[in-house]
Amino acid sequence: MPKLRHIAIAAEDPVAMAEFYKKAFDFVEVGRPNGVLADGVFLSDGTLNIALLKFKTDQLGKGMDFRGIHHFGVLVEDVEEFSKKLESLGAEHYIDQGQGGHQAGYFEKKFFGPERILFDIAEHGWAGAEALPTPVKQAAE
Amino acid sequence: MAKLRHIAIAAKDPDAMADFYVKAFDFKIVRSNDGPLAYGHHLSDGTIDLAILRFKTDQLGRGMDYTGLHHFGILVEDVDDAAKVAEALGGRHYMDQADPARTGGFEVKMYGPEGVLFDIAEHPWTGTEPLPAKVKEAAE
Repeated sequence: MPKLRHIAIAAEDPVAMAEFYKKAFDFVEVGRPNGVLADGVFLSDGTLNIALLKFKTDQLGKGMDFRGIHHFGVLVEDVEEFSKKLESLGAEHYIDQGQGGHQAGYFEKKFFGPERILFDIAEHGWAGAEALPTPVKQAAE
Repeated sequence: MAKLRHIAIAAKDPDAMADFYVKAFDFKIVRSNDGPLAYGHHLSDGTIDLAILRFKTDQLGRGMDYTGLHHFGILVEDVDDAAKVAEALGGRHYMDQADPARTGGFEVKMYGPEGVLFDIAEHPWTGTEPLPAKVKEAAE
């Protein structure tokens, strides 16, 4: 089964916000992304990547001053297969990651689901996030 | 370490949205409810609760027609201790669960930096993984 492994929060001051969650819940800093879409801080609770980001574009259509939870990400076995499935269910493809190959620790494809909820899918996993569980059959072999 | 175990989406049509995520990712509906705060469905990927809710109050101050990601929830060892730490760091208490006997959902709601709303609970959300320490304890 795919797994929720990423949540992104739109912040004005990602560094200050990261300090709060590190001190309050012992989340660990695992990166400082600085890309064309956003800058910020990646935290991890050992299972999820929690991205606190200052976005550079208005991905949600809610304005550049939107603050709050922005999108989530689902780790899947096969991005291409899931892309087809999502589109067949009515999801709208938004953008793909990078033109120069996969950048570890980031989304691979972004989609809008029902009611324009934005989510990512990835098969390589976000920084600090747990991998998909090994299927029991495969692990036994 | 505390664990993020709950993500809530504000939806106009929670039934249709839940159906999408069930079909798309094989998430399971583990609870449906119609309470004083919201109507909707709780989906699980086996680890995290994805709640798809039509809210009945304006918890975010964005108006009742707001749709989108709404709040998240963190599973902690001790909810009172965690709330005190969060408040000492500038978090603002919003509300407590009205029914203290009800577990499997939020126990305390707080606003963190920049007004981001989050829940804390010491009982796992329905269908989610407990804290690793609790798993170890249960195995012993």
